[in-house]
Amino acid sequence: MDNSGKEKEAMQLMAEADKKVKSSGSFLGGMFGGNHKVEDACEIYARAANMFKMAKNWSAAGSAFCQAARLHMQMQNKLDSATSFVDAGNAYKKADPQEAINCLNAAIDIYTDMGRFTIAAKHHMTIAEIYESELVDIEKAIAHYEQAADYYKGEESNSSANKCLLKVGSYSAQLEQYPKAIEIYEQVATSTMDNPLLKYNAKEYFWKAALCHFIVDELNAKLAIEKYEGMFPAFSDSRECKLLKKLLEAHEEQNSEAFTEAVKEFDSISRLDQWQTTMLLRIKKTIQGDAGDLK
Amino acid sequence: MSSDFETYEQDFGTLTADVTNKIGRIPKLAGEEKTQLVLNVDKQLEEVRELLEQMDLEVREIPIQSRGMYSSRLKSYKQEMEKLEKDFKRSRIAYSDEVRNELLGDDGGSSESQLIKLREERAHLLDNTERLERSSRRLEAGYQIAVETEQVGQEILANLHSDREKIQRSRDRLRETDANLGKSSRILTSMLRRIIQNRVLVFILGAIILLTIVLAIYFNLRGH
Repeated sequence: MDNSGKEKEAMQLMAEADKKVKSSGSFLGGMFGGNHKVEDACEIYARAANMFKMAKNWSAAGSAFCQAARLHMQMQNKLDSATSFVDAGNAYKKADPQEAINCLNAAIDIYTDMGRFTIAAKHHMTIAEIYESELVDIEKAIAHYEQAADYYKGEESNSSANKCLLKVGSYSAQLEQYPKAIEIYEQVATSTMDNPLLKYNAKEYFWKAALCHFIVDELNAKLAIEKYEGMFPAFSDSRECKLLKKLLEAHEEQNSEAFTEAVKEFDSISRLDQWQTTMLLRIKKTIQGDAGDLK
Repeated sequence: MSSDFETYEQDFGTLTADVTNKIGRIPKLAGEEKTQLVLNVDKQLEEVRELLEQMDLEVREIPIQSRGMYSSRLKSYKQEMEKLEKDFKRSRIAYSDEVRNELLGDDGGSSESQLIKLREERAHLLDNTERLERSSRRLEAGYQIAVETEQVGQEILANLHSDREKIQRSRDRLRETDANLGKSSRILTSMLRRIIQNRVLVFILGAIILLTIVLAIYFNLRGH
């Protein structure tokens, strides 16, 4: 693989494109072939960026795409500009997450301007994922996921909206914003209850909502479980509901061993995932905390 | 002389074998048969005694030099006969296994065989328990797999739902695009028509101008 060869070629192309842009800046060029030259320059930038990608020089590729995007904006080619920004964002994802986010934000602005909310929502999700994984800024990730969910709702794609909302819910519960999480889970659960394809998921959402209620207050949890059973009879058959009832009892009696037993039993059949274990641990701590206070 | 002795010996041998046999059988029998057998054995023992006496006489007639061997043989036969008589006496009062069995019932009565049976039963029960445990473990594993399958199914359903929405959206967009394409093709045809119209107009006007010029020149020349 002649990567270095590709890179040199790419640098050459960049220089060529820069020259073209400069030349079109002069008066005569603007009069005669200005637009034509700028278009050529855009194309050359794109080719150079692709060559950088082949040479795996992501940041150079990203900057080349950004240049191309700005030129497109000059020429009022909004769509092309937005696609170039997206390409830049993808290239930067591997090298510089912050830059990637900037490019993607620019792209999102263009798309919302044009009224293409679905794509904007998709890019919000991408940004949120970057915040989730590389920059680990959960609050911003939540904000972006929320935006994405709103856009999806606006475009009537409810399952994608639900996907985003679920992520918002789990992260807000992790950050101890329980009322918000509860509301989200209940909302999602009620909307999926009726859909024949999705109703098997509804019980999982009720279970998570009840867990959040539990952390806040035990009485809340009891009322909530009754409410859910009324809304969705199948919930009472599920093993999760039985586990909840056992946990409620154990909590009433402040018996952390019974609690752990019940959890272990459930875990032996179907593993609890990370989020659920964290929540259950918090509940358990409240039990032990109460027991400590009583002493 | 010695040949007589040998015949006596042979007879003695057969008779003693027979007597031993019958003595062996006596304890197992009872009642009529027993008494008969006992009488039989009695008679045979009488015969054996007579044989021994005759052998004694024979031995005395043999000259002293070669008497030693025969006399020692005679002594051993006498001992054998005494032993047989003792056995016979004992057998008439012996308890046999059969009598014992009748008393204790067909128990397999000895404690050893009981131990063996108990041990076998224990092994059997342990085997059963192990089999039960194995099957319950398998059931649990099966249940786990069923629950996992259900979860996988849930995920797949959710994916299907979102894919369905995507497909619906793209179908709608496709229809919109189709309509737009139709519109643009109509616009293009109208553009084409106008171009043709314009060209026709240009030709007509050009023709008129040419005609006017020609007429003007003509009238000019005519005017001269």
